[in-house]
Amino acid sequence: MDRDILFERGRRNLSRIGRIITIAAGKGGVGKSVVAASLALTLGERGKNVGLLDLDVHGPSIPDILHARGEIVASKEGLKPLSVHGIKVMSTGMLIGDNPLPTKGEDKRNLISFLVGLTNWGNLDYLIIDLPPGTGDETIWVLRALRGLKNVGVLVVTTPSILAVSVVRRLLSMLEDEKIRVIGIVENMAYFNCEGKVYRPFGRFSEELVRRFKLRVIASLPIDPSLEQTIYDGGLPHRSSEELKSAFYRLCDVVESSWGE
Amino acid sequence: MHEWTLAEAIVESLNSFVEQNGRKKVLEVEILYGEMMELDTDILSYAIEELVKGTVLEGAKFSLKEEKALFKCNACGATWDFETAHKMLSHEFGILEEPSGARESPLHFIPDLAQALLKCPRCGSRDFEAISGKGIRVARMVLGR
Repeated sequence: MDRDILFERGRRNLSRIGRIITIAAGKGGVGKSVVAASLALTLGERGKNVGLLDLDVHGPSIPDILHARGEIVASKEGLKPLSVHGIKVMSTGMLIGDNPLPTKGEDKRNLISFLVGLTNWGNLDYLIIDLPPGTGDETIWVLRALRGLKNVGVLVVTTPSILAVSVVRRLLSMLEDEKIRVIGIVENMAYFNCEGKVYRPFGRFSEELVRRFKLRVIASLPIDPSLEQTIYDGGLPHRSSEELKSAFYRLCDVVESSWGE
Repeated sequence: MHEWTLAEAIVESLNSFVEQNGRKKVLEVEILYGEMMELDTDILSYAIEELVKGTVLEGAKFSLKEEKALFKCNACGATWDFETAHKMLSHEFGILEEPSGARESPLHFIPDLAQALLKCPRCGSRDFEAISGKGIRVARMVLGR
């Protein structure tokens, strides 16, 4: 009998959650984890029960972004995610600190099955899943687990850079093949304001790609020079500037309405 | 105490399998679990016994078998067992168990974190394989009519 007990358990856990938003990016360094954390925090501030699952097992940055410190507690019901700033957070970073985790293939997928299968989220309106860049084991695990579930949408985060286009195209092709709903594109680091003038150093996200996959750019987030310092000082990313805060509120509006009534 | 969660995972999976295959009775189930999980088999057995009540699994004979852990280093070729690995486990990271308050290694809950929590005892590399003794699976099931 060949059944993956923990994978099945993980999938069942995910199917019981209100809505799942997977944050994916073809390329690394586009601000995906900051977007994931900010979206989770903003939804939390809007009164939703929100969980944030960091599946970037090799480079988990969610604990640092949220200043999430403390040990995970286990009970009869499973592993309790850490409660921080009104949301629930689970990350391998809270289990292994800064230790490297050189793992691959089936071992990595089993790791995720255990992590998701054992975590007890309780009642959630939203679970935000932060994926690592690319289409490797973590992405494969999530696609398999979410296949056929109706409560799922993907946000694709990218910069408008021409260098990101081919990578995002591959990601979108895969999501299309797997019939996973894409909520839209989040164009991060899209522009900055200088003395009242808007500059777009990376141009605009590929219109050809938007047309090809029948998608929308649902948010254009600014380059916020104070973001790094905000996180360094212990602040939260979505409150780094009024402009960013408003942008995340607008993004939440679009995301929430994407499910319809 | 995550034995309860594992028991739920086992029972849910088996019930779903039996249902999908249109069977009405299960006679025997053999569960194979890895040594790295350091399971309390008394708790696991009791949890399974409680959870199968009223399901097609009720009355089935469950047996739990431990698979010994073995590690092999890809850098120097050394092999070692779980006793050796356990001595090397850092106490830097832990998961607090409720209600006992005991602090267990994350390895106990997620064996595939091994490369983050252990190193080769001979050369110090993390490039090793946990060849056996980490997961949990149904090794055998005998269905009735």
